[in-house]
Parts: sequence; structure tokens; C-alpha cells
Amino acid sequence: MAVVFLNVIPAAFGGVAWGILGGALPGISPSITMALLLPFTYSMAPTTAVVMLACTYIGAEYGGSIPAILIRTPGTNAAAATVVDGYMMKMQGKAGEALGISLYSGFVGGLFGMLVLVGLTERLSSVALAFTPPAYFALGVLGLSVIATLAGDSLVTGLIAGVLGLMISTVGTDPVTGLNRFTFDSPELLSGIPPLLVMVGLYAVGDLFVKTGEPDWAKATSEDARIKFPSLALWKRMARPQIIGSLLGAFEGMMPGGGGAVSSFLAYNEARRWSRHKEEFGHGSPEGIAAPEAANNTVACTALVPMLSLGIPSSNSSAVLLGGFLMHGLIPGPLLFVSHADVVHGLYVGMFAGNIAMLIIGYLIMSPCMWLVNRPKPYLMAFIYALVVSGVYAIQNSIFHVGLTLGFGVLGSAMKYFKLPVLPMVLGVVLGFVVESNYRRALVISSGDYRTFVQDPIAAGLLIVAFLFITGALLRRLREARDVRPAADASV
Amino acid sequence: MKPAEVTKEDSRREIILGCGTLAIAAGYYLLAIRIPQSDISDVIGAQGLPKTYAGLLAFLSIMLIGRAMLARRTAVVSNAPAIAIGSSASRSVGWRTFGMLVNGVLYVALVTSLGYIVSIAGLIASTIYFQGGELNRRSLAVAAGGALLLWLLFVRLLHIPHPAGIWPSFF
Repeated sequence: MAVVFLNVIPAAFGGVAWGILGGALPGISPSITMALLLPFTYSMAPTTAVVMLACTYIGAEYGGSIPAILIRTPGTNAAAATVVDGYMMKMQGKAGEALGISLYSGFVGGLFGMLVLVGLTERLSSVALAFTPPAYFALGVLGLSVIATLAGDSLVTGLIAGVLGLMISTVGTDPVTGLNRFTFDSPELLSGIPPLLVMVGLYAVGDLFVKTGEPDWAKATSEDARIKFPSLALWKRMARPQIIGSLLGAFEGMMPGGGGAVSSFLAYNEARRWSRHKEEFGHGSPEGIAAPEAANNTVACTALVPMLSLGIPSSNSSAVLLGGFLMHGLIPGPLLFVSHADVVHGLYVGMFAGNIAMLIIGYLIMSPCMWLVNRPKPYLMAFIYALVVSGVYAIQNSIFHVGLTLGFGVLGSAMKYFKLPVLPMVLGVVLGFVVESNYRRALVISSGDYRTFVQDPIAAGLLIVAFLFITGALLRRLREARDVRPAADASV
Repeated sequence: MKPAEVTKEDSRREIILGCGTLAIAAGYYLLAIRIPQSDISDVIGAQGLPKTYAGLLAFLSIMLIGRAMLARRTAVVSNAPAIAIGSSASRSVGWRTFGMLVNGVLYVALVTSLGYIVSIAGLIASTIYFQGGELNRRSLAVAAGGALLLWLLFVRLLHIPHPAGIWPSFF
């Protein structure tokens, strides 16, 4: 218990503070904020590290609303829905009130998300002991099937990114024979390419390279930096949009590719539909801030449900968090709750503390946030670059790792240019080893009998779910293509 | 909803991407078949999945190239006010992005000899320039201050042995 208070609580507060600062910088997404922190968590105790990363996610979701309200520039994609009414409230001289609504609604959404997270993950993972190599292989395939949903505009490019990720995962020692593959006689590659370096490279460095062509963002004024918490009447009025936002966020967070941005726009629309003050939406409605902010903070918790219980990240941020787990030798999935229950329970405590910390730090950190947002972009980007190369070196005191991260940065910016989605590649890197090692182990145990994958009930069930997932995604794409065609014909 | 139009630029981009990934698939396959066979190998073997991945990537690349070439026939010329490739603005962005990469490569190459503080200060200063800032006394002071701050954080506080460079040999 004492350990919890000594390590986890400060980690929660630190993570939230870092998250708010990162989220408040336009263009720095929660996943980039988390990727920047990853190297620093390497030397920490596993529970402390994962709590800090998870709380960074929580903080970043709130932080994104600060520039959305003050300078009409969302700090994160999820805060884009907050811009509409948040900035209007600011223009009406109610910036403090808007920030207070955002903070308080995020807190409510976060607590609801925690309830869902704790209630669902343990149940989903209760089948842990029944998992065999075929079941683990099927779980990996289920994870990879998510690519069909996450592929973005083009399924082919999504699949290409996924296969490239699987190729990266084959570098290192072969899991069954112990032979070296694609190591080019380099001792640094014997243990494979750490997913952490791939993520920091693709998300953080790749983004830095791409941002060279972007102009500086607008600046805020210092009189905006005072948060006002909502009055009792406003609390009552916000209850309905907060419930809508929390419910939608809980559902969307668990869905692959759902994420904060989708849920916050859905929540905004639904809040307007069910509001008694529809006419205020778009003109500075407090409900127009409460619903999306409750939604995206719920997502920050419920996105961890599939990641913790099945080892399947449903968003970029949960993929980075998964990288944090792997870095400490923790493999999210069914066995995590058996072999490292202490880490999972520590994470729950930490995330609960993180939500409370958001309320406190969100209030206190406004001035440093404003100072940071008002720094010239080149200075901030330069400092972030320096932080990345220093942090990556700190993991294993390896210059080779810094070079490798830069290489993935180049790959990340090339992927942006060619419109290749990053998350499928990360999924391939993270799940490639699980898929290959368990596929081959299952065949060794069954003496090469492929029926083992359908005879194991869990494996068969998971493979069916994966099949349904892929079929559903393909059907949706076909339907969308059919809908677009008549519209294109009509426009000619 | 207005349907998404495929532009000539999109098609060209996809063809280049497809050719690139096809080359990667071929190179990866050639490396995969060079993985030695083991006496204790399972039915799949160390080469098994890598060869499958190479085949899959080649198939997807050909699909992408074929799709892009078909789409090229009906593609439109983009009217978007995007930065045209080859324009001075585009060259400037490309030059800056390349500069960011060179910064990192120079850091990796020089940090062991120049030491952490000097190298990271150089990285900060040049990044400020490539991100659109000016190299003046203020930015150099920010670079020096930032380097000192990071040195204090990593070397003094976290005890990470970042390279000291050639400097200790002078004292």
C-alpha cells in the first residue's frame, strides 16, 4: 500500500502534468506526448511506468481543449469538436468558464471510463488459464484483423503497412530455432527491434520532420489563464451531455479506430439532438463543450479495455501504452491478470488518481501551459527533438538505438507523404512475434496438424471473431464505395 | 456528400509507393532465402513466415500499382491550393525536412567525439533554423541553455552516462 502512495500517486500526477502540457501544444497528439515520455519510463518500476503513461493519455485529452478554447486550434484531434463552442465562449469573455466546463466534464468522463475499464477487463481476461499456443495465435490474428478497420481510406495501403510491420518483427533471433534473421551480423539487432524505438520514430520523430512545413500557431493572452468552475445551475445542465458523452466514449473507446476524435464529434451531435437549447450550439453552448470533453476522457480509459484484456491496441495512444508494457517485459493479454495482477491493480489505482490529479493539476498548470503555447514553434520543436534523442539514448546507452529511431522517423515521414497509416505497422511490429511464435509452437505440439487451430475452442472462437471483423469491414467499404458511385454519377 | 476524387498526383504517389514496396518485398525475399536451415527446425522453419510476408507484400504492391494505373485514366488534375511539387515553397519544405534528418545523423556521428553538451546544443540550434526560426544571439542562447538543462537532467539527475567526448582529455 505504501508503495502505491510512494510511486504510483506521484507518477499519476507527473503523467497528467506532462499530458496536459503535451496536449496543449497544437499538433502534439496524445500518442506523441506518450511516445516522448516512453524512454524516460524505462528505468522506472513497471507499475510506475505504465501509470505514468496511462495518466499522460488522460492529461493529454484534457490538454487538447486548452488551445481549442483559447486560440481556436485544437491541441489534439479529439478536441476539434470543442473548438466550435469553446472558442465562441472565449469570444464572449467566458474563456475561464469554458475551460472549467472542459476540465470538470473530462473528470466526470474519466471516472465513468474507469468504472467501465475495471468492470470489463477482469471479466474478459478471466479465461486466462485456458489459453494455449493456438489460442494465442488466434488472439494475434484477431489483433491483426483490426487493420481492416484501421486502414483508413485504402485497405490495400493499410495492409501494406501491416505487412511491413510484420517484416520488422522478424528481425532478430528466430523464436523456435534460435537462428539469426536479418541481423546483418549486428549484435544490437540480435534481440530484435524494440517496438519502443519504432513507435518513438514513427510517431514523434516522423512528426517533427513533417512539421517543418507548418506555420506557427496563434498565441493566447495571459488574462485567459484563469479557470472558473461551473455554477450549480450549469452543473445540472451539463449532466445530460456528460452522460451522452460518457456512454458514447465508453463504446467508441473499445472499438478499433474509434478513438477520441470520433467519439467527441458523435457526442457533440447527440448532445445537440437531445438538448433543450439546440439553438445555442455553435454559438457558445456549455453543453457543446461538456459532451465532447466527457467523451474523449472516457475514451482515454476504455481504450485500455481491449489492450489490457486481449493485448489488442485499438488506437495510437493505446499502442504506445502497449509499448510501455512490453518494454518492461509485461505482455498485455489474458495472462497479465494472473502473472502481474499487482501491476494491473496499481494501474487502476494510478488512473483513478490520475483523474483526480487532472482536476487539481488542470487548475494549477494553466499559467505554465499558456507560457508553453506562447513559445515560438521552432524553439519547442528543437527542444522536443533534443529530448527524443537524449531519451532514446538513455534506454540502453546506445547510439545505435538513436540512429535506428531516426531511421524510423524517416520512415514515418515517408509514410505520411505516401498516406500509409502508421497504426497498422505498429500492430504488425507488436503482434508479429506473438503470431509467429505461437503459430509455430502450436504446430510443433500438434506434430504439424493444422486442425489444432479449429479444435481448440478458444482459438476457433477468436478466429471466427477475426473473420467476422474482416468481413464486416470489407462489407462496409463496399457499401461506402457503392454510395459514392451514384453521387459521383450525379455530380457529372 | 461530395465524392472523393482521385487526382493524378494521388495515382502517381501510389505507383511510386507500389514500386518501392515491391522492391522491398524482393529484397526481403532474397534475404529470407539466405537464412540457414536448422537441424532442429519445425515444419515452418525460420524462413517460413518471412517468405510468406514477402509474397504477401509483393501481391499487395502489384494490386496497388494496378489500382493506381486504372485510376489514372479517370484521375483529375488537382485544383487544391496545395504546394506544387518542384515549386520554391515545396523545395523549401523538402530542404528543411532533409536538414532535420541531417541534424540527427550528424548528432549520431559526432556525439561520441564532441560530447553530449556541444552536440545537443548544435542539434537544438540547427533544428531551430530548420523549423523556420532565425539563427541569432537569442536562438544560440536558447540552444546553450537547453543543452545545459538537458545535461543537468540526464547526466547529473538521472545519472545517464551520455558521451563526454574528447574534452576530458584536455584536463
